[in-house]
Amino acid sequence: MLNKIIKSNEFVIFLILVGLSLIVGIINPAFFSLSTVFDILRSSIVFFIMAFGLLPIVIAGGIDISFVAIAAVTSYSTHMLLLNRGYQGGILLYYVIACGMGLLAGLLNGVLVTRFKLPVFDVSLATFTMWYGFTLFFVGATANFDLPPGTVGYYGKFLFTLQDPLVGETGLHESILYVIAIGLFIWWFLKYTTLGRGVFAIGGNREVAVRSGFNINLIMLITFAIMGILSAIAGVTQAFLSRYFNPVIFISQPLDVLAAIILGGAAITGGRGTVIGTALGVLLIQLINRTLILTGIPVEWQRLVVGTILILFTSLPAIRDLRARRVGHTTELVQAE
Amino acid sequence: MAEEILRVEHVSKRFGGVTALDDVSLSIQKGETCCLVGENGSGKSTMIKIIAGLYTPDEGDIYIDSHHYKKLSPIESIHEGIQVIYQDFSLFPNLTVAENIAINEQLAKGKQLVNWGEINRIAREGLDKIHIDLPLDAIVSTLSTADRQLIAIIKALLANARIIIMDEPTTALTQKEVASLFKLIDDLKTRGISTLFVSHKLNEVTEIADRTVIFRNGKKVMDQDAKGLDVQTMEFYMTGRHIDTSAITFGEVQEKAQPLLKVENLHLSHGFFDISFELKHNEVLGITGLLGSGRTELALALFGELPADSGKIFVDGKEVKIKGITDAVHHGIGYVPDDRIREGLFLEQSINNNIVVSIVDRLINKLRLLNMKGKADESGRWIKKLDVKTPSGELPVKSLSGGNQQRVVLAKWLASNPKILILNGPTVGVDVGSKAEIHALIRSLAKEGISILLISDDIPELLATCHRILLMRGGRIVEEFKREETSEHQLSTELVGASGPASP
Repeated sequence: MLNKIIKSNEFVIFLILVGLSLIVGIINPAFFSLSTVFDILRSSIVFFIMAFGLLPIVIAGGIDISFVAIAAVTSYSTHMLLLNRGYQGGILLYYVIACGMGLLAGLLNGVLVTRFKLPVFDVSLATFTMWYGFTLFFVGATANFDLPPGTVGYYGKFLFTLQDPLVGETGLHESILYVIAIGLFIWWFLKYTTLGRGVFAIGGNREVAVRSGFNINLIMLITFAIMGILSAIAGVTQAFLSRYFNPVIFISQPLDVLAAIILGGAAITGGRGTVIGTALGVLLIQLINRTLILTGIPVEWQRLVVGTILILFTSLPAIRDLRARRVGHTTELVQAE
Repeated sequence: MAEEILRVEHVSKRFGGVTALDDVSLSIQKGETCCLVGENGSGKSTMIKIIAGLYTPDEGDIYIDSHHYKKLSPIESIHEGIQVIYQDFSLFPNLTVAENIAINEQLAKGKQLVNWGEINRIAREGLDKIHIDLPLDAIVSTLSTADRQLIAIIKALLANARIIIMDEPTTALTQKEVASLFKLIDDLKTRGISTLFVSHKLNEVTEIADRTVIFRNGKKVMDQDAKGLDVQTMEFYMTGRHIDTSAITFGEVQEKAQPLLKVENLHLSHGFFDISFELKHNEVLGITGLLGSGRTELALALFGELPADSGKIFVDGKEVKIKGITDAVHHGIGYVPDDRIREGLFLEQSINNNIVVSIVDRLINKLRLLNMKGKADESGRWIKKLDVKTPSGELPVKSLSGGNQQRVVLAKWLASNPKILILNGPTVGVDVGSKAEIHALIRSLAKEGISILLISDDIPELLATCHRILLMRGGRIVEEFKREETSEHQLSTELVGASGPASP
């Protein structure tokens, strides 16, 4: 059991996280503080949510980049709609309306993929472009800072707060609870429902999944529905954490999320992936993005670091396979000697 | 009198203008091992698919116990206890042993939630059914082919199979694994489970069959007790002609001239040790040994895919360094892999494109564009020379049968004018008739001046093509046989003897 944990992808990425934190901390001791932890977590929240939404699609063997556009179109449209009607209330209605839109947008991808047998990536490339275009053209092209009165305090809703000598009062934002709830849900969905096992089955061998009697179309529709809803939640949450609505929010970020999932041990070809790994992958990328500044490494280097870690990580299994292949031929021989 | 479970009567099936099955009847008794033999295109797979309910016959009736079906659906077939184990085993490579075993039951019961305790219990029960032990949490892609096959069999048993249809089950198994599969089939028999064993390998058929059925061109040409049935008779029924092995003529080897390829003390850690041999002009040299004897590694080393750690290689008397595939190709060495589907062919591409893929630089005109006429001429020449059976070179390779696909792989390498051709298992998965033709082709290639290194554990094949045969065991060449001085019996004894520990 212990052996298995040590050999797992999650453990390796955990070690990298710890190692990187130590290095950053040694170079700049200001890093070792709860406020840093809170800061990294806060910046990670929406990425956790989007990555959890994308994970089932990746496990089923698909690559989607449209989720960021869905986050943008749902959050921005909801806001403009409510703003025009003079909405004064709280945040809940935002989530309800945006999730409804997200569900429809996710299903649109799902229907295109299942009904017309199109590759997930192609469809998502189209809807990615389409939704950003739709938002800019029909809904609005400028950032909007008019938040309804009922939502104003949300920015500073901390689970608990503390006084930090450097930054003053800081705390852990309550939306981390959504992340935990969503993470648990996706974990449960993937591990304990037949639909979730179907997601793995499709990613492992689609043909056999069909033959075994999995309802492939239903499973794909549900994974896209989950993706759409979670993207909408991420979009709305991001807007209230940053206190403005941005029509092109996340436009440059789909690959960060995909990278986090891959770092977390998911196979880009499908069939493999875990919630814990994905969460660690998000944390690692956020850690790199947020803290390399503290070490004095220029910002331009961050991308290079993420890229290098990705190369190392994605080539690890390949190297293992290569060795296994070479040794595999001669297993009997080795026994015979 | 044995109890009859399945009877197919006067079944015909046509696809367009082609008759795949023509008035064929077949019955299977309880606990019987029935072998279904036939060349590619003889109607075996059509018959399997009719029994599995995937095809509806145009005419004829199917009786299972006393139930009469004009038309059988896949679900009905499964409910009647018929299970097909396809060559890919229908497993999920990324899931565990336990889940692969239990997943069908999970789906059949329509459960929405997964109870992992129950999955493990079902899997454990399944493994106990055939008295084997595999780690329940092992990922299936890490298992050997034989273990994967066992999981497929367990799945069939858990689905209450009464007839298990195995489609070419021994293709990727070692001899030891074949032996334990046969033991398992015998064990199933004692429990009243019948097996329909579909195979090309006639020596295995003689070993396992209670009754042998042979199809040829969509018709049943033989159906009789397997006792006393020998390989020659079966070959005759399969091909409709006698394959005369005595009349084979071998080309002359240039014994005196300098050897074309000479290998001295070649060594690859975890692969092979201290390998020395000579390959002469016009010679076919066989290299045999069990899986894991280092024979494939040796071939890959000579082809530069797994470069050797030390030792010398001479081509035409000159020492050459082979550090990669380009070096090997440069020195005129070609390699035809055993897994032609995965490593040798672009299945979706046309036959023409596949044939010329390694010589495109020769087919470029002054404008640096591909000379389309030259391409068609070149591939047309090879299609004719190697007798690839196809209406057009523009058809995709996947439209060809196994034997013809193998010819395309050969054509691809021959087009590049190699001096030395390494063939790894050239007739794996090829039917008897095409096999004899490929053997004749190998002999005539050698006569024409290409020296061939043939890697195979098919002993009749070695005897039908090779001038000399080297036996590998534990990564070393342990013995050399001259064709005239050895026999099938001696070779097979020596080959199986090689499964023991390597002699020091």
